[in-house]
Amino acid sequence: MSRRPESVFLGAIPPALVLCAWGVSVLTDYDVVADVDPSRAGLGPSPALPFGTDHMGRDVFWRTVTASEAFVGPALVACAVALAIAVPLGALAGYSGGTTARAVRYLFDVVASVPRFVLVLLACMIYGSDPLVLATAAGASYAPGLGQAVYARLEALRGAEFVLAARAHGLSDARILGRHLLWVNCRRLVGRHLLYLFGFFLILETTLSYIGGFGIEEPQPSWGNMLAFEFGQHGMNPLATLVPAAAIWLTVLGTVIVADALAEPGDV
Amino acid sequence: MYDADYIAVDSLTVRAGEAVLVQDLSLRVNAGEIVALVGESGSGKTLTARSFLGLVRARPGVVAGHVTVAVGTELVRPHECTDDGDREAAFDRIRGRLVGYLPQDALGWLDPLWTIGRQVDEVVALASRGSSDRSVPGQQGAFHWLRLAGFSRPERIVSLYPHELSGGMAQRACIALALARGSRFLLADEPTTGLDPTVQQGILRQVLALKKRNIGILFITHDLRVVHRVADEVIVLKDGQVVDRFAGSSLGDARHPVTTRLLKATVRISGGPL
Repeated sequence: MSRRPESVFLGAIPPALVLCAWGVSVLTDYDVVADVDPSRAGLGPSPALPFGTDHMGRDVFWRTVTASEAFVGPALVACAVALAIAVPLGALAGYSGGTTARAVRYLFDVVASVPRFVLVLLACMIYGSDPLVLATAAGASYAPGLGQAVYARLEALRGAEFVLAARAHGLSDARILGRHLLWVNCRRLVGRHLLYLFGFFLILETTLSYIGGFGIEEPQPSWGNMLAFEFGQHGMNPLATLVPAAAIWLTVLGTVIVADALAEPGDV
Repeated sequence: MYDADYIAVDSLTVRAGEAVLVQDLSLRVNAGEIVALVGESGSGKTLTARSFLGLVRARPGVVAGHVTVAVGTELVRPHECTDDGDREAAFDRIRGRLVGYLPQDALGWLDPLWTIGRQVDEVVALASRGSSDRSVPGQQGAFHWLRLAGFSRPERIVSLYPHELSGGMAQRACIALALARGSRFLLADEPTTGLDPTVQQGILRQVLALKKRNIGILFITHDLRVVHRVADEVIVLKDGQVVDRFAGSSLGDARHPVTTRLLKATVRISGGPL
């Protein structure tokens, strides 16, 4: 899918803001407990409190910024896990073919046969809902999709004349695979999938935090538990729910727009 | 040091299941010599050329015979290696370094996502690796090899992608790539097929210029028109077997039925419309 540069630019703004928020949050020390102040509960926006306060009097702006810590770091870990599993296996299968390819694809099919959300919940039930467990499980559950994509790309290119040419010129298999096939031909494909995984992880984390029991627990903020905590509180500041909801929606939308911009002709 | 640099294959046999694609083929190309391998499509010409570089990937027993490459003090005989890894390592010493390959489909032979300059640079860098001796031929820059391949202004070509090249330009770029590691031999696999006559002339002139630089060439073609102009020796293949051998200058005296048939077809085409 091709998109106009201006829409890609607009799409990149929310994910970029999220990364900035993550940086700010990591560098500052907003105290989620000390911020509780029932005397200012449900205040509307003001210069000092741009998004007002929630029903416990906490600053919605700072909680929204701090909530980026709940998913950005783990999402990057999930991307690293998916990258580390899927690219070597997909490349090995696509470049060597034969029995190796059948074995790797079978492994991918087995993992992919379990819905991602179920696989992540299963891992959290067994190993606890630590962010690292969540990230690893999400990355592993996404790996078959990325691995199959890398496999399909390399399978199509393996027999290409320019690959044979590279061998005839004396280039090593490692160089042909790493430089000509993976770096030149697959980097956009991999980048696109990792952005999808980033968006998927945001939805996963906020959903689990919204449901409760898994994910981020109060008083630590997540856009999911911010929504759940404020939802149904009558007469309260509407921005306390609208801001995290909009943050989720815009970040996922922006991530998908940027990911789609990386698609190449013929990609589905 | 050997008497002369040469590449040779002895008793090459290539099988695919029950079918024998190349049978008991032996040939030798000396430095500065052009040997033409002539035959119809499917007669085993390309398989023979690719066997020199170990590019015919097949199960053990499918490819039999011995390849010998002797250049300077180096003597490489990959098929004497019993271990697969050692054999691959021996072929690695040959590929691009001692023997270059010039394909028919030059555009497909180039990486579509890299500029020509970058592709030649990469191969040149392979030649430089592990040696600080500036006199190694491969250590000269991409411009040198592109100029040698017939580009009078290589600076114009280095920033182009393969899809921006004509067929003749792509073929010249492939000549530069085949020689960029300083190889002394060239396997030219139908380099003029599909090119218009003017461009064919240019490529043939280039091949003859390489011969003058003492590069040995195995010239594969099905077009006898070009053979008598360039070849020192002509080997005619039919269904994977050598059926005729003669000196390039004595083409007119060739009597074998297969050669005569190829010659007649060529004469009819060059003589006018069918």
